[in-house]
Formats: sequence, structure tokens, C-alpha cells
Amino acid sequence: MRKHLLALGVTLTLSPGLMAQKIGVINSMSGPEAPIGENITNGIKLAEEDLKKKGFNLQLVWEDDTGKPQISMSAMEKLATRDNVAGVVGPYTSACSNAVAKLAEKYRVPLLIPAAAKEEITRQGLKHVFRMNAPADKYASSLIDAALSLGKPKTIAFVYENTDFGTSTSKTAKDYVATKGLQVVADVSYAKGSADYRSNLAQIKSKNPDLVFMVSYVADAILLMRQSKEVGLQPQAFLGAGAGFTTTEFAKEKAISEAVVSCTQWTDDVSWPGAKDFGQRYKAKFGKEPTYHAACAYASMVIMAETAKNAGGDRAKTRDGLKAGKWNGIMGEVKFADYDGFTNQNNHQMLVQQILSGNYETILPAQFATKKALYPFPKWK
Amino acid sequence: MNKTLLKSLLALIGLAFLLVIPRFVDSPYALHMMILLFLSVMMGQSWNILGGYAGQHSVGHAAYFGVGAYTTMMLMHTKQIAPWIGVWAGMALVIVVALAIGSICFRLRGPYFVLASIAVAEILRLSAINLTTLTNGAEGILATELPAFKIGGTVVTDFLTKVPFYYIGLFLVLLTIVVTYLVQHSKLGYFFQAIREDQDAAHSLGISISLYKNIALVISAVLTSLAGSFYGIYVGFVDPPTVLGLDVSVQIMLICIIGGMGTIWGPVLGSLILVPLSEALRSNMITEALVKVGLVSADSRVGLFLKENLSHAHVLLYGILVVLVILFMPDGLMGFVNKLMRRKREAV
Amino acid sequence: MAVFMQSLISGILIGGVYALIGIGLTLIFGVMRVINFAHGDILMVGMYLTYIIFTMLGIDPFVSVLITFPLMFLFGGFLQKVFINRVLNALAQNQILLTIGLGLIMSNTVMLIFTSDYKILTTTYSSSTIQVGGGVSVSTPLLISFLITSAITAALYWFLLKTDTGQAIRATAQDRDAAQLMGINVKRMSIIAFGLGSALAGTAGALISPTYYIFPQVGGVFTLKAFVITVLGGMGSVVGATLGGILIGITESLGAVYISSGWKDVIVFVLFLLVLLFKPSGLMGKSRT
Repeated sequence: MRKHLLALGVTLTLSPGLMAQKIGVINSMSGPEAPIGENITNGIKLAEEDLKKKGFNLQLVWEDDTGKPQISMSAMEKLATRDNVAGVVGPYTSACSNAVAKLAEKYRVPLLIPAAAKEEITRQGLKHVFRMNAPADKYASSLIDAALSLGKPKTIAFVYENTDFGTSTSKTAKDYVATKGLQVVADVSYAKGSADYRSNLAQIKSKNPDLVFMVSYVADAILLMRQSKEVGLQPQAFLGAGAGFTTTEFAKEKAISEAVVSCTQWTDDVSWPGAKDFGQRYKAKFGKEPTYHAACAYASMVIMAETAKNAGGDRAKTRDGLKAGKWNGIMGEVKFADYDGFTNQNNHQMLVQQILSGNYETILPAQFATKKALYPFPKWK
Repeated sequence: MNKTLLKSLLALIGLAFLLVIPRFVDSPYALHMMILLFLSVMMGQSWNILGGYAGQHSVGHAAYFGVGAYTTMMLMHTKQIAPWIGVWAGMALVIVVALAIGSICFRLRGPYFVLASIAVAEILRLSAINLTTLTNGAEGILATELPAFKIGGTVVTDFLTKVPFYYIGLFLVLLTIVVTYLVQHSKLGYFFQAIREDQDAAHSLGISISLYKNIALVISAVLTSLAGSFYGIYVGFVDPPTVLGLDVSVQIMLICIIGGMGTIWGPVLGSLILVPLSEALRSNMITEALVKVGLVSADSRVGLFLKENLSHAHVLLYGILVVLVILFMPDGLMGFVNKLMRRKREAV
Repeated sequence: MAVFMQSLISGILIGGVYALIGIGLTLIFGVMRVINFAHGDILMVGMYLTYIIFTMLGIDPFVSVLITFPLMFLFGGFLQKVFINRVLNALAQNQILLTIGLGLIMSNTVMLIFTSDYKILTTTYSSSTIQVGGGVSVSTPLLISFLITSAITAALYWFLLKTDTGQAIRATAQDRDAAQLMGINVKRMSIIAFGLGSALAGTAGALISPTYYIFPQVGGVFTLKAFVITVLGGMGSVVGATLGGILIGITESLGAVYISSGWKDVIVFVLFLLVLLFKPSGLMGKSRT
């Protein structure tokens, strides 16, 4: 014990200018949202490791919100008033982020939300709330634009999970296709975790849509595609929004995932600085491919820690630093801007990708494309 | 006589203490935890009237919690009706819902009643997801701007701090306790308990089973709906899983069962244990405390292990606690305490 | 017509797996009058067991049922002997909470070991189909699991009807006290019943693994479904649970197309309440005492 104290004393006296950057993390580490929350935890852990290597005296205060808004609020109250953190990264879900955002504004704690999709969060004019990822409307517009640039689809069918993410994404998508003159021939919501979607997919097949737009945040994506193959649903393109379509597990299911178009916030083959390296190190450390949540969380933590360090841990200065700063890292260029009714929103470039020979290949936008798109969707074997 | 005097005196001191807390504690985090504690007591106490006194163990109380929360939030969000008016609408609606649910569930007994109560709450949750024009579906309702509370032009509070919520919560807790006390010490309470102990015997005594079950349900549902409205206003966001989900119902029941059913102080005790415990586990305060006391060094293997896993494992520990209480204190902590006291008295 | 046939067939096939889950629950309830809220979590344990056996030993899920079944039987027997046995005479809500607590322990222990990642168990036939004609197709793994389910159900009928132990279990289910008076070892029957119930749930988990995905909280969906099935068929009735499972499979499948996929679960719960109210003994059950 004494030895420890002594050691502590030595480091303190040796480095008088080295102040700790105390940063809070709110994430869904247990409960129903934990499978995705896990990626965020990992991304932040990797960031912590990297920052410490760079000489940051980073001190993270981890808070589990179990996916419940009121618990998320407890976490924010604690971080803001008891732990006196310079800033907070998180929470994961939109529901929690919404509840926490107004507290961040009240306590003037800079909050950087890494991966929540709901548009409203950064549309309330909150000065202390920043968001890394592109919100839900971007999923819809980038996927549909991609399909329109590849072919001449006339009709579209929607299949989406009946969650916040699923309904809001498909809602903006429906509004968007209306402006593009596409006709909606089927509109099906499902409870995530069902074992059987065959009847609905057969029904959609009978309408013979040109595009099938699916929203699935979890492994339902695999079930939806397997069962689409079973019933012989054959559109010109399958468009997949949500994390379910962007996992390695999904790509590995070659029999059903080949040529599916999806969009994501991040991939490891994009030419953003450090993206590839991040992917490799993440895989080495956690034994699996990073999702975009992991990358968003990593970038958010790095930006928050750097800004907090420059601001000397002062909240107001950290906020100003986030507002004024510009970064270029694994998430590409990051800047928290005010546009189209958004406040402090990173106008992030979504990537449209397609699974070709079992790999995710970026097909749009053109400057990041790694392969040419395959269109229309090949006949089921 | 002396004893009741002492008890009332103690209660008064406790109340006075609670009333002055916000004067001396300015940590919003502490006040927030107190508010969550109040909410928990409210929820447990409301369930207690139906489950503890009348013996109808509903596992569907999320239905009433959710109806209260949704009604208040919907009125505030779409019609700009102030929540202190919306609350009444919520209570009125919940009476209708409760009577409808009662007419279905009270025809059943034991496990069938439990399953029916779950089914009804699930139907409401699914309806809230699907009736998108009414409830905004899975996206939930976000209403964070509370209008200032005015009486005749003077602003009583603008809800900018936690203090008004603290006092409203405290008031609602007192209300539920007083209601429970009145029920317990009236003929109503006697009828409820007769039904709980032996429904058929109560029937043969001429007690109208269905009337009194419905009375218990309505009281319980109205109080639960109040708790739901309070939750909605305080958190500022409701969506189907957080206010209508099955785990809300289980949580409500758990407060009572851990504390002790059918007693006034059971839900209070249950909340006093569950709320701080889950917060301490969730936020890793236990590891922090162990490090501070010096039992575990933060950098030792044990310290790192605890830091890494304890907050991950908090639901696991929660599960273990539930299992232990059910196995070894089937009447909850109140029952356990009473048993100990009885034993002591007998020994004397 | 193709849509209708497709929905009907996949409903029946999925219903077969539901039936297995329901039979497990109905056995447990029949013998002990305990509502087992950990049923879905037991199923989840069966899924993980199948997953481990598949990834570590490379044994096909449909074959590893032979290992999963006895292991899950032992697991269930253990749960009964150590925990459930102590609350047999307790209030219904205490039993419910105990099983909820046990479920939380199971799912969170699994989460600590395997993390909460989604696990996909992909076999060579996971995405293969058989064309039936008329534009209707059948998923091969689903068909195989339906056949295995039918075989297990048939074996279970034989066990309950023809063997001494089976008859003793049925006697205990009918009247616990009378069975005890007749010299039946009720405690042993309870252990066997809970073991069997768990083994069936675990097997159901194993059988859907190739077409589904696995994560620690997967149980919740199936627990509620199991209750609906069991009540529909009459608590304690094995035949009823079989039919109940298939009925729910078909209702979900057809309801999703002809009414609405969002409301299909509501339809199931409404059906459940109607049965509780108007035919409380269930579709197949005898009168309840």
C-alpha cells in the first residue's frame, strides 16, 4: 500500500503539468441493447489504449445505462455533478441520448453522441450536444439514390423492424421515394426476434417490387435474406439499412448475402486515415471485426480527449473546442456544424457498399469506391 | 398508547428530515436518486394495494403505469395541455382501462390471473407500437419543455431544478402511504384481506368478491398511473418498452416482494434496498468503495477484475438477490424482520 | 393462393418447434403447478450448448441433439432439486419471481462468458430449400427440425402412456396428493418432469439454431410464446400443447399476411385471452379443479 502511495507521489511530483483528462462514458453494457453496446465499449477501450500511449493521462468513468432512459439520466447526473468530468461520450441508444441531451445542456457538459440515429437529438438547438454519426435520414437517401443511379426501379417494398430506428428510417425513406416518383407496393413492419418472416416475404414477392428496402439492426437481417431466398423474392436490388446488414457474420453467409446493397457509417477499406490500421488492431485485440459503432465510438473518444486536454479539462472551453475544431481521422473529416436545422451535427459521409465475393466493397460515393456495383440482383441459385 | 405516540413522533421526524433535505443537499445527483427512490416507493405501494392486501398478484401493472405516462405526455406534446391537468386525464382513462382489464382478469384465479394480466399489458404495449398516429409508435414521445407552474399569474416553479420534482415525488409518496394506511385501517382493508386469505369463505360471508377486487384494482391502478405520469414528466421521454414493457411490471412487483407484501413499510424497505443497490452496482461504486477503504488495490488483479466485471454483472447479482430472498425470506424483508422481533419477544 | 400455401406451410413447420417448447412447459406446469418463467432461458442454454458443440467438436446441430437432450435433462433436474422444490407450496408470484431470478442468472452468466454478441450457427444447409411446386418452397433445416420434433413428440407420448414412470408422472399431474398416497415418489417425478421439460426446451433451442441466431437475451420471446401455447392447449395437456404450438405457428403466419404483421402478436394474445375466458381448460384440456 505504502509502495503504491510512494509511486503515486513520485509520478505526481515528476509531472506537475500533466493533468488528468476525466471523461465520462455512458453506454448500454447490459440489457437488451448490450449486443451493440459491446462494440462501443470496445471502440472506446482501444481509444483509451492509444491515447495513453500518446501520453494522455486519461481517466474514464464508465456508466452502464442498461438501455433505459431514466438510468441513463442517473449516469449523466452522476458524471456531471459528482465526478466532474470534462465531457461525456455516449449514450448508445436514441432513447437514452434524448433523455441525456437536455441534462448535458442544463449542466453545460459537452456531450458527444457516437452512434444514435434519431434526427431530433441534434435538432433541438442544444449547444452542448454533439453527434458523430449521420442520423437516420441519411440511410434512406443514400441507399435510394444509389439504387436510382444504378437502374430504373419503379416500385419499392419496405420491410422494417418496429423499433425507433426501424420506423423512423423507413418513414424518412417513404417520404424520400415519394419525391423520386417511386411507388410503394408493400409496407411491412415486424417485431425483431421473430423466427418466421416467410409469409410476409411471399406476400411481397406477389407484388413483384423492383426494390426491397429492409431495416434491421440485428441478426434478423440474415433471417430476412435467407427467407427471401426460400420464397424466391427476386427484386432488382435488396437495400439493407441498419447494422444487421453490415456485419461480418452477414457477409459470411455467402449463399444469401451476395450482392446485397447496404449503407454504413464506416468500413475498414475506406481511404480515411487510420481506418485500415484501426480495423486490424481492433480485430487483433477483440477477435472480431469492428462495426461502425466501434469506429464512431473510437473517433468520438479521441476527439473528446484531445479537446478536453487542450482545454485543460474546462467544460466551457471543451465545448468551444469541439464547436471550433476540425479533425481528420478514421471517420474521415469531422466537423460539428449547424445546417438544415441541425446543431453541432457532423455532416458525415455515408458509404454505400455491396457484398461482392463475400466482401463488403464500397460502391458509392465514387471517390471511395473500391469495386463497380453489380446490378440488377443476380438470380437466386 | 405510548408506542403509537412514539411511532408517530418518529414518522414526523422522518418527514421533517425529508422536507429539509433539498435545503442542505444541493447535489442534483443525490436529489435525482431520491426522486428515483420516491418513484420506486410509489410504484411498489400502488401494487401493494391490489397484490399485497387483496392478494391479486398482477404481473401487468405496466399497463397502468404506461397509460398514465402516455396520456400525460401525449396531451402535453400534441395539445399543449399542462401535465398537472393531463395527470387527471390519465387517471380518468386508467379507471376505464382498469375496469376493462378487471372484467377480463378477475374471472380467473391464481396462475391464470397472472398470465392474463401479462397478456393484457402486452396487448397495450403492442398497440402503443402500432397506433402510430396516436402514440408516435416506437419512436416514442419526447417532451422536455415543461411549462412553468403558475397560480393566478405568479410563478410557483419553473421546473428548472430537481427541487420541485423532489417535493412532488415526496408528496406523491406520502399520498400513496396515506391511502394505503386508510385502506388498511378501514372496512375496505378487512374485505381485501378476507378475499386474499380465502376467496370462497369471503364469498360465503356475503362479501361481494368482484366489487371489492375492482375497488382494489381501481385504487391501485390510479396510483400507478400517477407514478407513470410523474415518470413521464420527469424523464421527458416515453416509448413502449420503457413504460409498457414486461420488465416494468416485474420491477413493480419485485419492490413489494423484496420488501414485504401487505405491509405499509414493505415497499419503502424494498425501494430502500433495490434503488441504491442497483445504482451502486451499475456505476461500479462498490469497486470504488472497496478501493477507497483499502480492501482492494485498484491496480491489483482483483481490483481490475472487479472494475471490468462488476458493473457488467449487476443484473446477475440482482438475479441472485431475488433468488435468495424468495428462498430464504419468502415474506420479504418486513416479514423477516417481524419474525426476528417475534422471536426476540418470545425469548424475553 | 401461393402466398396462402406458403404461409400455411411455414406456419405449420415453425409451429412444430413452438409445440416442443410448449410441451416442455406444460409438463412442468402439469406436474408441479409452477409457472416457469425461465423456460425461454433454458431454451437459450440449449442453444449455446448446441453452438459450443458445433464450433468446438464440429457436430451437426441435428445430431448433437443426442448430447444436448440428456445434458439439459440433468440441468433441469438440478434446477428442480436445488431451487424449484423449495417453493412448491409457496405463493404463485414467489414461484414466478424465483424462476425470473433464475432466468436472469442464466442469461447474465452466459453474457459474461460469451459476451452479448449475436452468434450465428451456419450449417451447409442453413439456406437451402426444397421446391414443393406452385411457387411454394420449404426450408430444408426447418423441415428436418419438424421431422425430429414429430419423432420426439411421438416418443414422449409412448413414454407417458406406456412406461411405469410415464404413468406415474401423469398420475402426479392429475392429483399430486393422491399420487403420493398411492406410493408414487412425487419428488422424483417432479425432478423427472422438470428435467424432461428443460430437455425439450433445450432441444427446441438446438433445432432452431441453424435457422435462427443466438444471444443471451433470446429467451424472453419464447417464454411468452410458450405460455400462450400451453394455455391454449390446456395447462398440463401434452396433446393440447402440440396442437397449440401448431395453431400459434399458423395464426402468426397467416395473421402477418391477412391482417397485419405489426398486429399479429396482438391477435395471438387476444386469442389467448379468449381461450382463458371461454374455454379455460384449454382447447384439449379436461376440466380444471
